[in-house]
Amino acid sequence: MDDRSFTAAQDFLLSAKTFWTTTLYGAVRDSYSEKANHSQDGASDSVEAVAEALEDTTLYQFYAWLERHLQRMKYAGRYGLVPYHEERRREMLEALGHVDTDDRFLELNENLDLPAYYTGVDIHQHPGGVWSDALAGVIYERGARTTTPLLDAAGKDVHERFTDLALAGGSHSNVLDMGCGFGKSTQPFFRRLPDSRIEGVDLAAPCIKLAASLAQKAQSKNVRFRQMNACNTDYANESFDLVTSTMVLHELPPKTLDEFFDEAFRVLSPGGRMVNLDFYCLPDAFRRFIHYGHARRNNESYMGPLAEMDISKLLTSKGFVDVEILPFKETEGVDIDANGSWRFPWTVIAARKPERCGS
Amino acid sequence: MTRETRPPRAEQQFFDDPAIDRIMGAFMALATEHYVLRDRFLALERGLAQSGSINPAALDQEPDESERAESLADRKAFVEALMRPLLGEQDALGVPGKFSLKTTKSEA
Repeated sequence: MDDRSFTAAQDFLLSAKTFWTTTLYGAVRDSYSEKANHSQDGASDSVEAVAEALEDTTLYQFYAWLERHLQRMKYAGRYGLVPYHEERRREMLEALGHVDTDDRFLELNENLDLPAYYTGVDIHQHPGGVWSDALAGVIYERGARTTTPLLDAAGKDVHERFTDLALAGGSHSNVLDMGCGFGKSTQPFFRRLPDSRIEGVDLAAPCIKLAASLAQKAQSKNVRFRQMNACNTDYANESFDLVTSTMVLHELPPKTLDEFFDEAFRVLSPGGRMVNLDFYCLPDAFRRFIHYGHARRNNESYMGPLAEMDISKLLTSKGFVDVEILPFKETEGVDIDANGSWRFPWTVIAARKPERCGS
Repeated sequence: MTRETRPPRAEQQFFDDPAIDRIMGAFMALATEHYVLRDRFLALERGLAQSGSINPAALDQEPDESERAESLADRKAFVEALMRPLLGEQDALGVPGKFSLKTTKSEA
């Protein structure tokens, strides 16, 4: 496959996705509003009622089909990310390979047991997942460039905006990015805090190899990526004053999420903050219905369970204080409420470890 | 287990008739292929225009009657091939109707 054909096909799919995000989503939403207005009960507050109203309509069936299959075609099929990178395997691996021996940036663990929830489903419809193939990190990075439909008109990436928020009102000398993926979420931290120690951990070796490679190319000296389960790290108690995660919580089964928060609490210094960016605040049944459908269609098994959890109660039960659950606008340049396009229910979930536990 | 060795898993179904799900897959594959070709065609045109081999303005002009007449036969053949299947008629004579080994009764 030549580069031009690949780019043309991916651009076509992205344009189709944009139509889906704006026009088709808007039509489904309007269709539901009309049905709700004509029903005696008005807009229902249950997902089941929205499903009853929409799932058998032709419009929604096309909406759902396109959500599933535009993503499938992005990754697989003749012009998909996987075959494109497969044809360039050797050169792409050569570009990554030189960081393997440099443990200043990278620490791999070949004996790490990957959990069944992680290997049993190919998240994001990425064939083989983000962990099973040496190229998976590079493919994931390329795919993630077009994940967020509402791009910031001011050009400020969602990770930069999240970092602004995480760093606000404090100084941070030790930062842990849990489930750092290919390091996109870690980059603003190690770039903005050159005198601090930044650590990123993730299950997927292909992803942290890419993260380390990018950090090395950026000549960063304050960051290290380690292949490790974020729920069971080897860091000493109270090692970090800031623990973050970005789009990780919704990938975890409830029991694992419980362990994740326990581990964050353990490694945080007294007074330290945990700040997570994820998908949680769903203001009405329609948005919830759309989100749960997205979860199923995009192979995100635990989006629904996360959205159903009482996170505030859970964090409080673990000893966290100052719990904040705030809707997050991924862009500065667009009036999201007026825009009406499909978007993730971005939410910041933050909490603080008390100065003295039990206080 | 590698991607290639994993057993296939049934795709999700969105339409009442799964045939529509599958036809949509073929349709979108063709639409993608069409756009890839269109993109290459436009790139060729740009390249030829830059080298002076073609005059893009002349290419964009509405064809005159003689040129349209010349392409009429080709157009008719294309439309014939595209739309003939809608009639549901056989090209080579055989047993008509829906075929099933479950019953000997013809549903035609």
